[in-house]
Amino acid sequence: MRDYLSWMKDILAFTKEQMREIDSSSLLQLKNISVAFGKLTAVDGVSFTIRRGDITSIIGPNGAGKTTILKLICGLLPLSQGEIWFKQQRLDKIPPHHIASLGVTQVFQDIQLFSNMSILENVMVGCHVWTDSGFLNTGLKLPHAKAEENKIKEQAISKLSLVGLEQKAFMLPSHLSWSEQKLSGLARALAAEPDLLLLDEPYGGLMATEIAMLSRLILQLQQDGITILMVEQRTDEALEIANQVVILDSGEKVADASPTEIRSNAFIATNYLGGRVKGMSEVHHAASK
Amino acid sequence: MNKTVELRRTKAEYLILALVVVLFLSIPLFAGPYHLAIIMDIGIYAIITMGLILLMGQAGQLSLGQAVFFGLGAYSSAILTTQHHFAPWLALLLAIIITGSIAAGIGRAVLRLKGIIVSGVTLVLNLIFSYLVLSLINLTGGANGIVNIPHLSPVKLIPNSLFDYYFLWIVAFLLLAFSLNLVNSRTGRALRTMNILSGGGEETAQVLGINVMKYKVQVFTLGAVYASIAGSIYAHHLGSIEPDIFGAHLSLLVAIMAIVGGMASPWGAFLGAALLMGLTELLGKFASVVVSGPTGAYELIAYGIILMAVLRFLPQGLIPLFQKLPPQSRHSK
Repeated sequence: MRDYLSWMKDILAFTKEQMREIDSSSLLQLKNISVAFGKLTAVDGVSFTIRRGDITSIIGPNGAGKTTILKLICGLLPLSQGEIWFKQQRLDKIPPHHIASLGVTQVFQDIQLFSNMSILENVMVGCHVWTDSGFLNTGLKLPHAKAEENKIKEQAISKLSLVGLEQKAFMLPSHLSWSEQKLSGLARALAAEPDLLLLDEPYGGLMATEIAMLSRLILQLQQDGITILMVEQRTDEALEIANQVVILDSGEKVADASPTEIRSNAFIATNYLGGRVKGMSEVHHAASK
Repeated sequence: MNKTVELRRTKAEYLILALVVVLFLSIPLFAGPYHLAIIMDIGIYAIITMGLILLMGQAGQLSLGQAVFFGLGAYSSAILTTQHHFAPWLALLLAIIITGSIAAGIGRAVLRLKGIIVSGVTLVLNLIFSYLVLSLINLTGGANGIVNIPHLSPVKLIPNSLFDYYFLWIVAFLLLAFSLNLVNSRTGRALRTMNILSGGGEETAQVLGINVMKYKVQVFTLGAVYASIAGSIYAHHLGSIEPDIFGAHLSLLVAIMAIVGGMASPWGAFLGAALLMGLTELLGKFASVVVSGPTGAYELIAYGIILMAVLRFLPQGLIPLFQKLPPQSRHSK
């Protein structure tokens, strides 16, 4: 009996150790999350884990729930069911600005630069999460606020240099090209010094050379230790730089594997990677043939 | 052509402020009591309008409740000094705390609403305030108001009116400097991110870590504090207050001043107040000569015409006329 108990203890200790290892390597965990808008279920029981330092691409047809998942992580939409954990902290119970302060930032598909500010000011807004001067401090221009403002400006200029836009710092967003606006949005997100960067269709509307440049930049960010979760329609490019690929269709998870495994699966390659991404109904139709 | 936009913080802005301060402080050397009274009115309105410009022009919250907070400041000061014998200085500070606390509570409730609904609800606040002032006769004096409010001047070295003039304009310029610092800072940028009237977006602001509700309530409270300071100075300067002055018409007039002056910069408050007060004085002098009867109705018509003309030809208000380049997009080659 004593031997049996000691054996059980060993097993439990081993399991705990394994769990700790999994926990320490995972940065974000989505556990059986669902969200419904009336009768429409946009995301249905999706679970996956994102490891620290990885690039994860979510791909799938239009209406698969890809962007919805990003909004759920950012706290812009409430969950109907499930849990979202980030750095051992539950995200789905806290407001979006608090989630940002924990190290999660998003670059929107339509970028959403503030058109009433210059590019530099837009990027300076990105520094909000790690600064704290309030109305009194800034209104009275106290030393803390002055020092912080200088740091904000330095950070913003350095992030603009990183994306190659320091020469356009004083321009209004409307005077920049689409790709430059995309890079400005990225610089603004990077100014927040995020641990997890969410990119919603980063390649959308870009030309081949711009896509190649952005891919190099994303890989550089990964090397700098930023974990990236991107939603992308362009599957070739998304698989090219990803360590992990999640395929969604009609709100459900179809696959969660490495790019190599995804490519080698004939069913997935045919229905989700072949030229264009097919919808679930087309997949069912193809499977039944 | 490389179009660029400058950061708002400019040394020129502070240099102009210094020159204007010197000009205003020297006005009593050559102006008579009548003109000093008009310039004081401009200062009072400019302070109230500046608070609204921070709220509407920066954060994009359409509020029409500034008269309530102006009234709260005036009545708090008056009640504390005449009924509880507080020193005027202490009463002014306590009025700020009272008005600020009430504004924070109102802001928390009202600013959950969006857009034009906020202006509707804040407009209703004027009616509630007027009703309360007229009903709480023991406290506010009802329709008769409050008289014998002591002056702010602690010592009689200079005439009270001159002291009030200097005090008012020093406070106005200090608040202007405070506002300019605010607009050109982390706080000002955070406010502009939520200004959906001019290119902001609340969702984006939140994703970037900005607590939108907290900022809205704080700037609403700050705007109320500005109005409260103006109200206290007004009450102590005149020595008596009555409820008529604190009605919805004042809130609307202040909103017109903000729009006419220009909401992109706190300077707009001074331009708007100066133009509309100057116009009121002109109409007071000439309207009765041209046509018989009271001038009040003609003032309202004139305000309406000016507002429409500004919205049509200078949608950003008068401010761009005094700057080389438009305030939101100062382009240079």
